[in-house]
Amino acid sequence: MDIIWLTIVLMAGITFYCRYLFLANALTFKLGGPIKRMLQFAAPSVLTAMWVPIVFMSDEGQLTSGLDDPFLLAGIGTIALSLVTRKTIVVVGLGIGLFVAAKMVLGEI
Amino acid sequence: MLWGPLPGAISNRARSYYKLNLSNDKLSGLKAKEFAIAKVDIVSDPSTSNETGVFETSHSFDNHRLVIQAAMDILPLALAVVPWGVLCGSLAVEAGLTPLQAQFMSLLVFAGAAQLAGISIIGAAGSLSSILMSTGVISARHLLYSAVLRDDIRPLSLAWRVALAFFLTDEMFAVTMAFKARYKVFSPLYSLLTGFLFYLVWNLATFAGIMAGKLLPDLQQLGLEFAIAATFIAIVVPQIRSFPVLGAVIASAVTALACQYFNINNGLVIATAVGMVSGFLVSLKGEDTWT
Repeated sequence: MDIIWLTIVLMAGITFYCRYLFLANALTFKLGGPIKRMLQFAAPSVLTAMWVPIVFMSDEGQLTSGLDDPFLLAGIGTIALSLVTRKTIVVVGLGIGLFVAAKMVLGEI
Repeated sequence: MLWGPLPGAISNRARSYYKLNLSNDKLSGLKAKEFAIAKVDIVSDPSTSNETGVFETSHSFDNHRLVIQAAMDILPLALAVVPWGVLCGSLAVEAGLTPLQAQFMSLLVFAGAAQLAGISIIGAAGSLSSILMSTGVISARHLLYSAVLRDDIRPLSLAWRVALAFFLTDEMFAVTMAFKARYKVFSPLYSLLTGFLFYLVWNLATFAGIMAGKLLPDLQQLGLEFAIAATFIAIVVPQIRSFPVLGAVIASAVTALACQYFNINNGLVIATAVGMVSGFLVSLKGEDTWT
């Protein structure tokens, strides 16, 4: 078999395995109390670890310090919005609008 | 090597997700910005409807409304991932895959970050073992997702479990958790639909990239990362209703920034772990909620 086909199939095997492992019936152990409690915090932790650097890090790898950064401005605005309304689609829509507006005001587009 | 510092031309924001260094000879013909493959698994927001949703009040789910809800929730995330899918398709062909192979990679592997890493290694004529190792490292976070959803999905039939596992992405996980938070119930159908729609968009985007080849539009300049940030903010902030969750979020945020600032590899994994442990430690002092 072509090495690239083999690569694709093996990669697919690995990604599926990671997604399926804990859903398999073969795995019968029960997750312990502390682990279960920690898992409650998995979603907010992993999502935060993804969005915070986007908002607070500059392109140069420094912490954003100026108000001339559309990511920082719109990020703060989006956080404020999410405190006001819990309708996700409104927050996302207005947040992206803020970002575009910030870029325009800053003359980036 | 993977996970190392990105070439200067690459936006640091891009590094928030998957840090890929594509600077190899085979790919160097591409424009610098195209290396900024910070792949983004964009996320969407799940809970777009109002508080008293039909899902909450009755256990007899209205499938029709569930379909609409799923589509609405995953749509922003799916659209945000389009540029990355396009990039994935075009880079795959550039790296030497046939169009059919490039499409099947998205059809079978269905993991943007892992695909982009694999493609870059193939393009650099790297070894199979290095490809598989990077795939494993990048995919490890999915172990966490399947562990979190274990109690919900495990009672289901084999077909459901396999299908839900196959479609389990950052995006599907995020909207599923938001749905659960809002309606206090796990809906396999909702999750499957969001996962499938995302899969559909990802593969159509890949196809477009394969067709477009080098005629890539200037997708990196659009600030697409912000769409991801906005969606994650919209999902996370409303969930902060207790001190343990607040502790987890703050700890994860500080750790993620520190890792990025000091160029520490695997910052996503480290920050997530620190956040989870912090939330747990705070929760030992009691589950104080303020709402």
